[in-house]
Amino acid sequence: MATTTLEPRAETYSRSWVIDWLTTVDHKKIGVLYIVNSFLFFFAAGILALVIRSELAVPGLQFLDEPTYNQAFTMHGTIMIFLFIVPVLSGFANYVVPLQLGAPDMAFPRINALSFWLLPLGGLLIFSGYLFGGAAAEGWTGYAPLSNGVYAGGVGTDLWLIGLTLVGTASILGAVNIIATVFKMRAPGMTLMRMPIFCWTVLVTAVLILLATPVLAAGLIALFIDRNYGGSFFDATAGGHPILWQHIFWFFGHPEVYIVILPAMGVVSEILPVFSRRPLFGYRAFVFATIAIGLLSFSVWAHHMFTTGVVFLPFFAFMTALIAVPTGVKMFNWMATLWRGSISLTTPMLFALGFVTMFLFGGITGVMLSAPAVDFHLQDTYFVVGHLHYVFFGGSVFGVFAATYFWFPKMTGRRLNERLGKVHFWIHFIGFNLAMFPMHPLGISGMPRRIADYSPDAGWTLWNLVSTAGAFMIAISILPFLINVIATFINGERVGDDPWEANTLEWATSSPPPPYNFDKLPPIRSERPVFDLRHKHDLEHLSPEERP
Amino acid sequence: MALRGVDAPPSIGTIGPRRRQPRWTGAPSNQTDAGRGLASPVDEEPRDELMRPSAAPSRPRTALLAVAAFLLVTLVAGCGMLPPDPKTEAAKTVWDLYLIVFIMGATVFVGVEAFIVFAVLRYRRRDDHLPDQLHGNNMIEMIWTAIPTVIVLVLFVLASIALGAVEARTDHPAVTIEVDGFQWQWEFRYLDGDTDPSNDVVVKGSPADPPVMTLPIDEPVRLILRSRDVIHSFYVPHFLIKRDLIPVPEDESLNELELSVTEVGTYGGQCAEFCGDLHARMTFSVQAMTRADYDAWLAAAPHGPPSPPPSASLAPDATVDDLTADRIAFDTRELTAPAGEAFAIRFTNEEDVVHNVAIFRGEERIFTGDPITGPGATIDYVIPPLPPGEYTFQCDYHPVPDMTGTLTVE
Amino acid sequence: MSVEAPTSMSADITTRIEVAHRESGMPTPLVGMLLFIASEVMFFGGLFAAYFNARAGFVGEWGPPSPAPELEILPIALPLTVILLTSSLTMQLGVWAIRRGDQGAMRFWTAITLLLGISFVAGQLYDYSTLGFGISDGVFGTVFYTLTGFHGAHVFGGTVGLTILLARATQGQFSARNHVAVEAISIYWHFVDVVWIALFTTLYFLR
Repeated sequence: MATTTLEPRAETYSRSWVIDWLTTVDHKKIGVLYIVNSFLFFFAAGILALVIRSELAVPGLQFLDEPTYNQAFTMHGTIMIFLFIVPVLSGFANYVVPLQLGAPDMAFPRINALSFWLLPLGGLLIFSGYLFGGAAAEGWTGYAPLSNGVYAGGVGTDLWLIGLTLVGTASILGAVNIIATVFKMRAPGMTLMRMPIFCWTVLVTAVLILLATPVLAAGLIALFIDRNYGGSFFDATAGGHPILWQHIFWFFGHPEVYIVILPAMGVVSEILPVFSRRPLFGYRAFVFATIAIGLLSFSVWAHHMFTTGVVFLPFFAFMTALIAVPTGVKMFNWMATLWRGSISLTTPMLFALGFVTMFLFGGITGVMLSAPAVDFHLQDTYFVVGHLHYVFFGGSVFGVFAATYFWFPKMTGRRLNERLGKVHFWIHFIGFNLAMFPMHPLGISGMPRRIADYSPDAGWTLWNLVSTAGAFMIAISILPFLINVIATFINGERVGDDPWEANTLEWATSSPPPPYNFDKLPPIRSERPVFDLRHKHDLEHLSPEERP
Repeated sequence: MALRGVDAPPSIGTIGPRRRQPRWTGAPSNQTDAGRGLASPVDEEPRDELMRPSAAPSRPRTALLAVAAFLLVTLVAGCGMLPPDPKTEAAKTVWDLYLIVFIMGATVFVGVEAFIVFAVLRYRRRDDHLPDQLHGNNMIEMIWTAIPTVIVLVLFVLASIALGAVEARTDHPAVTIEVDGFQWQWEFRYLDGDTDPSNDVVVKGSPADPPVMTLPIDEPVRLILRSRDVIHSFYVPHFLIKRDLIPVPEDESLNELELSVTEVGTYGGQCAEFCGDLHARMTFSVQAMTRADYDAWLAAAPHGPPSPPPSASLAPDATVDDLTADRIAFDTRELTAPAGEAFAIRFTNEEDVVHNVAIFRGEERIFTGDPITGPGATIDYVIPPLPPGEYTFQCDYHPVPDMTGTLTVE
Repeated sequence: MSVEAPTSMSADITTRIEVAHRESGMPTPLVGMLLFIASEVMFFGGLFAAYFNARAGFVGEWGPPSPAPELEILPIALPLTVILLTSSLTMQLGVWAIRRGDQGAMRFWTAITLLLGISFVAGQLYDYSTLGFGISDGVFGTVFYTLTGFHGAHVFGGTVGLTILLARATQGQFSARNHVAVEAISIYWHFVDVVWIALFTTLYFLR
């Protein structure tokens, strides 16, 4: 039973909850809006994944024609990246960062609301292509000249461009908010090096968004001008060049993948210490590794273009291999946090461990791809699709579920059922590996990506069938999750401020927090103020080195 | 951290064989509540299985089982993780590099996963003690930053060596082929060194009958990659290589590949850069043979463009339907013709992409027109008299909705 | 039951949550404006990258497609530059004025800046009508109009901001201690000017 002296939902005046949620500028409500909206898009893009995998299960075109298939994988990638994974992590950042900083809200609450509402608008615009003759169908990367007015006539691609520009703008505004909040609104005593690691990863992510997304916007606008105003940015017959698109796109596109992974790494770095009862090993190094990844991420983009023949290969190969070093340091930090800990395998912990083990695989395949000669064989094959799903899904999506289970009690005052959570995790984990692992042998043997169909003589049928089974298994695993969420809302176990015995400031207020977040704050002398408070007397006997 | 009432000693739920005293002995359970300070005192109910230490079976055995299962899975999964047999000189170098990289990756993977599985099992929570709160160790951290940096540098050096082998060029390749890619087919033009394209061997194909690139083994072959429309990519898995075909400005040099096939055989290939509707059907194969066989093939291959087919004779007042193809589409999807008399389709191809017209009744092929390539190419297809009914006409090279129509004969 | 910890805590914690208006450091709205400008720098960076990429690969004479004449700094481009540079000066004079608490002077200089800004946009549009080539006339036309067009749009956005400042100033909303909006808009205005200098140099001098 929560017994804080605070009234959790002290209302100053009553109004309908619909208007309340539509007009809120409270970062907590906006965070929830982000998360719910993102999950809706997740399900939509997930259905598209099932459509794709159903078609690819066996050779022959059973359900779709090629144009429909091409729209399916284009929409799947676009929605998953721009309308699910980045916004859902933004949602958690929105909710958690001000709390972890001991602040009452974000720096710019109204811009925060604007940032959110641009998302469903942008997403609907992108999807609306289906109503106007076909959605965009050139892959989420939209390479010119395939995406220009000649080869991709029809308004679907234009709607895609406009929708993405809106979504990108939302992102940029959100990044401004996060950075201003981190630098201006930390509670007294919270130096940058005492800031929770999640806030650090979100900060670096926000810097990446701030600097990379505008470049995408420039590219999207340039393509729109080519398509609609007779522009020649990418038209080789009029002085332009198709490769310009790839440079602009990937200059954004590579930092984008770090935008997707860093917050999830932050989530994992919060969860592992709580459920190992040890601090994050090497906090300082982790911060520097995060900054290093952020910087390096701007120097590797052309590794997506190795096979174009126009790239200075040694530089990009070197920088790409180099970025594995700070990533590896993080891996070691997590491992050392577990070592000699006291580990409790709650659902959030399981998903966090799932992240670490699956992201490792994706990271390794990435290093394999960094060698241009190897990339010449594997680029544009299912090996890359497998790689990206291990880092995006095995990494970020696992991180998202870890965050969901971890912070759900804080957001709702109720804890999700552990048994259902574990069922969700194991079906999800097994399904994920069944779905994505086969993509590696498929790609290695030469199966290209973005093909609607393949020859029965290629020897690809069995792995494709396994992958499809895995995809459906992932879909099934969502059921215990949804049941859990709904049942918990109806009648879930209520919890107090700190059900997990966690470390950071969000656990020093009620669940859910009051609108103004905190009435009082504990002293902040490390990155684990709530832990310090809890163990003030326990740790007095420890040596100075071991004390927080 | 027990969660019962104030007076009970720290009860720790299900008790395993090894119960340890809480580190801070003597402190009653309520200490945690007080220590929590501003956070609310915890529920009166005992915390559920979450925080309770678990009964642990013999730790080393469980750990061993876990690692064994892991290795087994890895082994099984190992099938399919090696590239196809390399069939060119450069591909062999790449294959070797891949093997090294794969072994390095697999070692790291197995090592780290084993560590994690072991740690999670070995350090499973069994009691309420607070483990040592180690924040870091400069020495260890420096080592585990330095070693991966060295590994990465070694990887880079090996990668650079392999790259050199792949990108090596000779001054005088034995065979030079211009590879033309377009939506959604390939054409291979064998350059014979003179500047007259009209006597070149040109290999064309269709979705039903993909083109075959014939090559001699053991000799350097140069491929010049030209796109007529969007970006495509020339990929042969057995050669462990692909390169993009990019529509570049007139004056810009085209991408090239050079390879030397080492073994006689037929090797499949396919476009590897998404290029639109029929990307999946843009296949081809490479047929490598001995020099003698190759010379024989080259001599027998038709040189120069095929002579235009003679226009068959028609009645002077016979129906002539006009049909134009441009941008992978027919200008009309409905044609009509009189029943019982021969008629013609005057087919114009406005673009530099091969098209034809074929006529079907249901699934049955009635007529196949000769393919032509524009711009501005015209051919008269003379169709024999047909009984009344609905027929379908379609381009064999682009059997997409935009190049499919209905022919009504009445 | 020991309650030492809480009580010593409450003595410790006199944290008034007043962080939204920190006394120290740069005011938060200015931080926000600077961050926004950083993103705009990257946006223009992308467009400039397109310009230089096109120029580097161009075969032939780089410039307006014939028969359109070469770009000349007179009679329009150089005066536009002078107008915009002057407007930065007048904007800053307005900022200095309000820092002194001189509301009247601030209103005056802001109004002048607004007029100059509007003149710039009008002048830019007039320039477009004299050039003799369009956005669809080859890659030079495309990058020229895209770059100058987006810059012009940003100037226009700045005039909207200036109008709001003027309206608020007329209602006496700014004082020496409370005028962060003026500072923020002035920074934005200077940014827009700097972009123009880069554009002007690139298009008319570097060529």
